[in-house]
Amino acid sequence: MSAPTRLAALALVARQEIALAVRSRWTAIFAAVFALLAVGVAASGYILSGGSGFEDFARTSVSLVQLVVLVVPLAALVMGVLAVAPERGTAELLFSQPIGRGVVLLGQLAGLFVALSAAELIGFGAAGLVVFLNAGEEGAGAYFLLVLGAILLTAVFLAIAALVGAGAVGRKRVRALALALVVWFAATVLVDVAALGIATLLRSTAASRLLVASVVLNPASAIRVGSLLAVQGTAAFGAASLALLRLTGGPVGAALLLGASVLAWIVLPVAAAIRRLGHIDL
Amino acid sequence: MIRFDGFGKRYGRQRAVSRVDLAVRRGEVVALLGPNGSGKSTCLKAAAGLVRPTDGSVEVGEPLRSAALPEARRGVSFLPQKVAFPEALSGREVVEFYRRLRGAAPGRTEAALGMAALEGAADRPVGTYSGGMVQRLGLAVVALADAPILLLDEPTSSLDRAGLAAAHALADRGRSEGRAVLFSTHQLADVERLADRVAVLVDGALVGDLDRAELADRLARRGVLRLRVARAPATLAAALARIAPGAALHDDEIVVIGPAAVRAAALEAVRASGAELRGLSSEEGRLDLLYDELVGAAERAGPEVRA
Repeated sequence: MSAPTRLAALALVARQEIALAVRSRWTAIFAAVFALLAVGVAASGYILSGGSGFEDFARTSVSLVQLVVLVVPLAALVMGVLAVAPERGTAELLFSQPIGRGVVLLGQLAGLFVALSAAELIGFGAAGLVVFLNAGEEGAGAYFLLVLGAILLTAVFLAIAALVGAGAVGRKRVRALALALVVWFAATVLVDVAALGIATLLRSTAASRLLVASVVLNPASAIRVGSLLAVQGTAAFGAASLALLRLTGGPVGAALLLGASVLAWIVLPVAAAIRRLGHIDL
Repeated sequence: MIRFDGFGKRYGRQRAVSRVDLAVRRGEVVALLGPNGSGKSTCLKAAAGLVRPTDGSVEVGEPLRSAALPEARRGVSFLPQKVAFPEALSGREVVEFYRRLRGAAPGRTEAALGMAALEGAADRPVGTYSGGMVQRLGLAVVALADAPILLLDEPTSSLDRAGLAAAHALADRGRSEGRAVLFSTHQLADVERLADRVAVLVDGALVGDLDRAELADRLARRGVLRLRVARAPATLAAALARIAPGAALHDDEIVVIGPAAVRAAALEAVRASGAELRGLSSEEGRLDLLYDELVGAAERAGPEVRA
């Protein structure tokens, strides 16, 4: 037998990563959390307004966006760092094989992406079935877009996990995990709050620019705004979203800009991680 | 073939290895010895392409190519010092994964598991393995590829007798099949059992590189003859000093250090002197003492002299 091609080696690494993720209790917990969140939000949606009964897909999706933007990045960052920064002895054996370091990293990311996306699909799918049985198919398209947003978030934060964790073996692994948590907090909470806080101190034009930048440059915000834009159109937007729409001339321009941002947040961290991994000592 | 040519490595300000020149040829088993932190693992990892030289070069294969190149690593099998595997996978899945990655024939998985005496545990998750079993699984992975270069970082640490036999068989087979084998160890029994050559590192510098003949010669020169005598004549000390200048005579004990021929001549001189011989013991030079001597001399010389 001859040595596998790069693509075959990448597929081998990805397959092993999927096998590990399938056997990890965290992947099952991740899927269960999504199902419970979605069912819980759908079932309790009318409680605050004094009503009862299940929300339809569209209302459930809007209610879920914030939770998805919090949970998915956390899971992708933590599981991503743990996958790309294995124990020293595992990393040394794996990276001494006759395949490029970049191939190993891409294989790990691809496998984890498939596993986490599958967990999201199972979780959202189970919850979607419950919503469908209780509230019908109204707004199912919005729910589908939310799931797509979750999958995009997974890709983005796995890419960031690669940048944070690639080659971090031994004691550096713990540091990489800590850094991943800082990145998660910054992306999901800090950047938005800081941008809004600073914007209140600025004049209108500068404030709008700052808010747009905070959306376009922060992948969590970009996907949250993109998901809301896809699910709700221009209704019920916040200050940052409205500023973005004004700057880009409408939903199409906003979607293109957000899409470019998300794509950049997937490609650039992975490229930087591969480059860094190629130059470090293990 | 493995060639370190002026290899040096710094980690920040810390110098791990200084100007190491060492070649391991086909069919040769070379042991790397040295205290903890002397640079043994750094040398092995550089040959496995995991560590890039700060100075000089590390090349492997025929023709020689930089060890950092994935193509060069096709001919290299490396066992890390504390090898580890994902705990959720079974031993068989681990070996099968690496078999496919190396492009080895399907039958190699069973052969490698058998070589490492892991057939009975092959379908158990690695998380249930003992430390020694994990080490044996590492040996199975290394054995898979039939690579012309074997790099083993302390391959026998934490091994039981079956594991030790597997590690020794791997190195022996490597020699008989014309591979270049470089291993590090603190177990001098492994060195005596396996090595064709011994390279000694101290503080990152190569302070000794002895082949089997040189090693045997050095050990023979350090052989010790102890005699217990009575009624030794006064002339015996002078006679012994002529044969073995380092011979010592204390009360009723004579200690002669030197090659076998010197020890035999000293014994003959004692007999000829008319002294009564009451006891005798003789032993060849010990590797641990020679090692301590080499390391001690290098440490006393200091880093400037070694560099």
